[in-house]
Amino acid sequence: MRHRLIQSVGVAWTCLFAAFVVWLYAAEPRSVGEVAARASAAAGTYEVDRARFEAGRALFLREQYAAARDEWARADPASRDARTQFYIAYSFYRQGWGRVYNDDALFRQGLEAAARAAELAPRGALAVEDPELKIHTPAELKAELQQGLERTTDDFNPLKVFRERK
Amino acid sequence: MNNRERNRALVESVLLPTIFLTVALLGGLRVSAEAGALVFVPPPLVTLILAAMLLALFARGGAVVVGRWLSAEHAVLTNVSHALTLGALFFASAQSFNSVLPERGLLRWVFSFFFLWTLWQNQFAAFDARRLLRGLAALFGTAFVLKHMLLASLYEPEGGWLKRLAGVVLEGATLGTLDARVFAPATGYVSFFALALYVLGLALLPPAPGGETAELIEAEPAPADDKLLAPGEPGSGARAVASGSRRPDSITEG
Repeated sequence: MRHRLIQSVGVAWTCLFAAFVVWLYAAEPRSVGEVAARASAAAGTYEVDRARFEAGRALFLREQYAAARDEWARADPASRDARTQFYIAYSFYRQGWGRVYNDDALFRQGLEAAARAAELAPRGALAVEDPELKIHTPAELKAELQQGLERTTDDFNPLKVFRERK
Repeated sequence: MNNRERNRALVESVLLPTIFLTVALLGGLRVSAEAGALVFVPPPLVTLILAAMLLALFARGGAVVVGRWLSAEHAVLTNVSHALTLGALFFASAQSFNSVLPERGLLRWVFSFFFLWTLWQNQFAAFDARRLLRGLAALFGTAFVLKHMLLASLYEPEGGWLKRLAGVVLEGATLGTLDARVFAPATGYVSFFALALYVLGLALLPPAPGGETAELIEAEPAPADDKLLAPGEPGSGARAVASGSRRPDSITEG
């Protein structure tokens, strides 16, 4: 009887541990802190650090985009919050935007973050009501970033220098 | 159920799967040199092939008597428990190879080829479980030293002029295919711990579960190289042990 109990506990423990190992390899967390964040996201108890998010937003408004992204990465270590990912994408857009040419590497990273934001948005719809922003949805931001990455004849239009950053 | 039986059941059903799954977890874990971020490398196909060959070797060497671990005579729960332990052993083996194989380039294929060659040759050699364990410890130890000490030091960013010179010479001689990915020194420590744990798990792994080994030796027919005796002939098992073709440790251990 006791032998059966040990075997049952062993089977349950092995299955749990194996599932944890598979989950780790699938989720690929980059730090021990991220492991905890992703685990809480999987358990449905994940929350963004609001104070850090606001600190990141303040940096963003002062045009310190890299520092802002750093704060947001700490606020949302598991990259599970659509709103934070939207702001990260926006920071890539604003940093990469140029009057003569855009920084393609930053725009590509922005596109990835915008895609993540769209994917994470509840029911696929997210509207960020922030008066400091001119783009309010991940779809618009994605379109803007994609447009910035495309090579068209419009790129040679000298009037392009008068366009406005959003 | 006495203490001996309870401890044996705990080792077979709880401790061994835990050890092997920990090895499966740590074997693919790297720490990137730039940001110190964790990188999880799932077992590549070649390591799965190597692990399958190694398990065949365990079966041939008598380190694992598959027929005793999985049998129609066992209860379903017992078979499931044993299958999970063997499954964990398979993935631990795959990840142990993953841990000591270079990440890419020519050296990865050279290492893989030598592992394949060694395991293939050993399929046809006479073995006992203890010798097999010693051989494996040496094999993994050598690969560990080559990858995590020699190659890691060769590709270290702050390496001295000799290291850099050796890197340039080797790279030139191999048309740049010696490219290696640099990881933080912590990767070597993780790999060392994983390999030590793997060898410990192998040392704890009984050839057959539940202390059936002695009975197994009595009942089992002699191995292929002991064919002079008929399977049922008296003294065939004892003579096999005396001649060294059967594992003597399997009688006293388990």
